[in-house]
Amino acid sequence: MAIKDRIAHFFVPKESNNYRAKSISLDFLGVYLLIAFCLTFVVKNGSVQFNHVLGLATDISIQKLIQLTNNQRQKYNLSSLNYNDKLSQAAQKKAEDMFAKNYWAHYGPNGIAPWNFIMDSGYQYEYAGENLAKNFLFSQGVVDAWMDSPTHRANVLRKEYSDVGFAVVNGVLNGEETTLVVQMFGKPMANSSLLPIKTAQAANPVLHQIPQTNLKTQSIVNNNVMTPQLSSTQLKVDFSLIFFGLLIVLFGLDLYFASRMHVIRVSGKSLAHLFFLGAFIFGIMLFISHGNIPDYAAFIKPH
Amino acid sequence: MQLLLNHIKSEVRLHLFDYLVLIIASGLFLVLLQIVVYSRFYVFLITLGYSIFYIIWGTYHHTRKCDLHLKNVLEYIIIGFIVILFSVIIFY
Repeated sequence: MAIKDRIAHFFVPKESNNYRAKSISLDFLGVYLLIAFCLTFVVKNGSVQFNHVLGLATDISIQKLIQLTNNQRQKYNLSSLNYNDKLSQAAQKKAEDMFAKNYWAHYGPNGIAPWNFIMDSGYQYEYAGENLAKNFLFSQGVVDAWMDSPTHRANVLRKEYSDVGFAVVNGVLNGEETTLVVQMFGKPMANSSLLPIKTAQAANPVLHQIPQTNLKTQSIVNNNVMTPQLSSTQLKVDFSLIFFGLLIVLFGLDLYFASRMHVIRVSGKSLAHLFFLGAFIFGIMLFISHGNIPDYAAFIKPH
Repeated sequence: MQLLLNHIKSEVRLHLFDYLVLIIASGLFLVLLQIVVYSRFYVFLITLGYSIFYIIWGTYHHTRKCDLHLKNVLEYIIIGFIVILFSVIIFY
């Protein structure tokens, strides 16, 4: 068979393939099912092996959050924020407190404010602010959600701030596994004995070793925040979208050629498959874009 | 392209009730997904339910068309299971 015929055999209904493109014949669908089964097995076992630090598979990293935050600030000609240890410790404590006391708000049930955590970390602020996020899969989604909310956006773009700290913590909130992102902003008080970390360090943020808790936080290896070299979440989503996109193209081609050739055959309905797979892809997009931020951000300024 | 659109229109008109049920179920799936998007377990459950519905729908559709064949049913089952497995990979 010539190459052209071979390609047509796989993608076009013809007499040689019994008027059903080979790529969507039962045999090949069975192969796709086998691939999906193997992938499920590999991904789930891989998660157990390699995601022991992060219980949930998310692609949120502190370095990415800093980069995206500063990108937004640069768009408005604002100075970049410097990564600050103390603010990150405050953010970490805030996240742990939310999990421990099972609340999702800027102020704790006992009235504890974000500034309490900042002060406890030793950061003497002139201005301070807090943004929260949960249930996001990607860093971009977190920052996009903040930028879509007027109060959170105001925090990201506040010109008074000079420092920022982050915590990304997995745990159980209201009976559900989730990932909390806490962003703490600050401007140190003038003549404060605590100076912010120099700008050069912002590119390679360093966290002091934080005591281990029962919560799963981003892994700290050799005092550096470990960011995944290859994001499993991104890979899973990309592969799924490509795979189902290809299936939709194959069924679309089948529908097109079958309608042109007025083929009568015993097979499933390509149109129905297109509806079903299309709805599933839409569902994936809804899922990966969804997360939650509070109704307002927190900000404190000097009296 | 016009031929394809005409084919789709005639196919849907011929089996209007069946495709209406499928479209409504797809819409319901997306709405329910939006509601329970915070819980991965419920998202997986809803996807599982939608896949099972699709397998049943396919069998029912071909029964009404009087061209029910094991091949057809297997096709819907395989596609449904592919979606279920991928929902395990992504959502759960």
